[in-house]
Amino acid sequence: MRARLAAVGRAVAFVALALVLCGAIFEVAGFSAPDMFAAILDGAFLSDGALAHDLRWACPLFVSATGVVIAFRCGYFNVGTQGQFYLGGIGAAVAVAGLPGWPPLLVTVAALLLGTLFGALWAFWPGWLRIRSGTDEVITTLMGNFIAGLLLVWVTSGPLKDPSGSGQVTASRPVPLPIRISSDTGVSPAILGLTVAVGALVWVLVNRTAFGVLGGLAGRNPVMVTWQGARLSRLGLGAFLLSGATAGLAGAMEVLGPDGRLVSGFSPAEGFTAVLIALVANLSVTGSVIVALFFGGLASASLYLPVIAGLPSAAIDMVNAAIALFITSRAWPSRFRPARFRLRRASR
Amino acid sequence: MIELIVAVLRTATPMIYVAMAGVLAQRAGIWNLGLEGLMITGACAGVVLTEQTGSVAAGLAGAVLFSVLLSALLWLVIEKLRANPIIAGLGLTGLGLGGTDLAVQAVYGSEGAVTAPVGIPTLGPAFGQFGLLDVLILAMPFMVFALWVLLRRTRFGLRLAACGEHPFAARSVGADPARMRLIALLLGGMLAGLGGAELSLGGLQIFSVGMTAGRGFMAFAAVIFGAGHPVGATFAALFFALVEFMGIKAQLVFGERAPRDFVLMLPYLATVLGIWISARLRGGVPLNTIELRDG
Repeated sequence: MRARLAAVGRAVAFVALALVLCGAIFEVAGFSAPDMFAAILDGAFLSDGALAHDLRWACPLFVSATGVVIAFRCGYFNVGTQGQFYLGGIGAAVAVAGLPGWPPLLVTVAALLLGTLFGALWAFWPGWLRIRSGTDEVITTLMGNFIAGLLLVWVTSGPLKDPSGSGQVTASRPVPLPIRISSDTGVSPAILGLTVAVGALVWVLVNRTAFGVLGGLAGRNPVMVTWQGARLSRLGLGAFLLSGATAGLAGAMEVLGPDGRLVSGFSPAEGFTAVLIALVANLSVTGSVIVALFFGGLASASLYLPVIAGLPSAAIDMVNAAIALFITSRAWPSRFRPARFRLRRASR
Repeated sequence: MIELIVAVLRTATPMIYVAMAGVLAQRAGIWNLGLEGLMITGACAGVVLTEQTGSVAAGLAGAVLFSVLLSALLWLVIEKLRANPIIAGLGLTGLGLGGTDLAVQAVYGSEGAVTAPVGIPTLGPAFGQFGLLDVLILAMPFMVFALWVLLRRTRFGLRLAACGEHPFAARSVGADPARMRLIALLLGGMLAGLGGAELSLGGLQIFSVGMTAGRGFMAFAAVIFGAGHPVGATFAALFFALVEFMGIKAQLVFGERAPRDFVLMLPYLATVLGIWISARLRGGVPLNTIELRDG
């Protein structure tokens, strides 16, 4: 219990440090830091309907973040959540376009499944390269994000293009209403139910199954797990596939839910924020729930800021980035603990 | 042929400068994924300061200054707060991408492109097709050679390599790994700032938000592909630039039959191919060696 409290305290302390850095940068850039933070707080949590907007962003973010939790616990830095999320969206849109005239419920289920499958496939190749030949997964998944982004542009301006759309942003035809799982508000029993189900499943998987427990051990000491007879390659590939699948599901939820169509470049900060949520929550599923609500608020504030407060939404990107910069710091708690050995990636 | 050489050099040079920053960090034992952030900061500071002062020298100085400042921040977080270098580097990249967006809006009040009145001096029309090459491109081979000498033929370079490969051994002969890493990151910050400035001031003299589009990550991949060697990384960056050029050529020749979006994917695919080959040839990361959680 004390270790958990220390972890929470540490996360809060480093998030506060990140906010201080952001405040300094805002002041240098000529914005008033207190005003900026007040506007962010207002847009995120206090204004009318802010909590509903918060949930609208938090649900897909939480689903993506559970995938990051699985991969990172296993020790694989799958930072390709954004690309897998886009592929999930494409999968859902393909299913909707490819099954005209089917019963709506079946199409919805098929779209969610195809999105999940596409996401998993987009995580498969970096995972395969990593496990087969040790190709660094950070680069492959990052490059995968750019490739998926371009694929999304091609899909929305080519095969699935909405001919009546305007020139500025390309998008697919709107998803017919009966197939969608929520209105534009993005909060519906279907979405909440899916989110809770994914959360519960991943919690059980991580904490109560051999896969989750061995994966968590593999992330800390792969050599030991190998010597105990577990197949590291299988664990790793499973972690990649599952993390891609959840990101894909989140993408499908976004297309079938609040967005209602496949738009090129939708939710551009999804992947990075999902990684952040998992890290701030110290790779715990239950912790991710609360942290996802916090970052969901920030995501809704990034729409609120330019429209209502007239401030640039890049401020939210800065806050997220500054948190990423500090959140893995370990100097502070180590003063209260015996010195631990340090593992550095480059000195393998 | 000359057209190809000039075009590839112009595309590759910004990446090469940034890749050299990556080589320095790699030698010192840091996987610097903040390169993308340093590059865009350099690109933004270069154009904005040139536009404000009218002097390219001020623009280049600003690009170097801001990039060095961010590098110092990264060192502080990695070395003093002992953060995970990969996540901290990605955070720095986000800070660069968001910060330049914010800076452009703070200075010009709108989100869009900024144009500098003057660019980095070029050879001029007297040299025909080579006239498009600017000072930084011409200086590039000498810079790479100088870096090779520094890393492989000086006491400092060898100590730096020792700090990266076996910090304990380096400490035992009196080298302070933390300090060596600071020097490597600050030097790298200078080079990455120049690379970013070359990207924006060298070509169209325009800065637009997010214009690096993963080139900093590609430069990092060039470091891996080039086995952490300055010359290797240079050729890797030239290869990525060549692929990009071929794609643009293919589009000119084949037109509609070479879809634009797939052509744009080529450099990213080449990057994946590059580090896959690198892993096959030299052995990659065999086991996952990152520990994030305590206790």
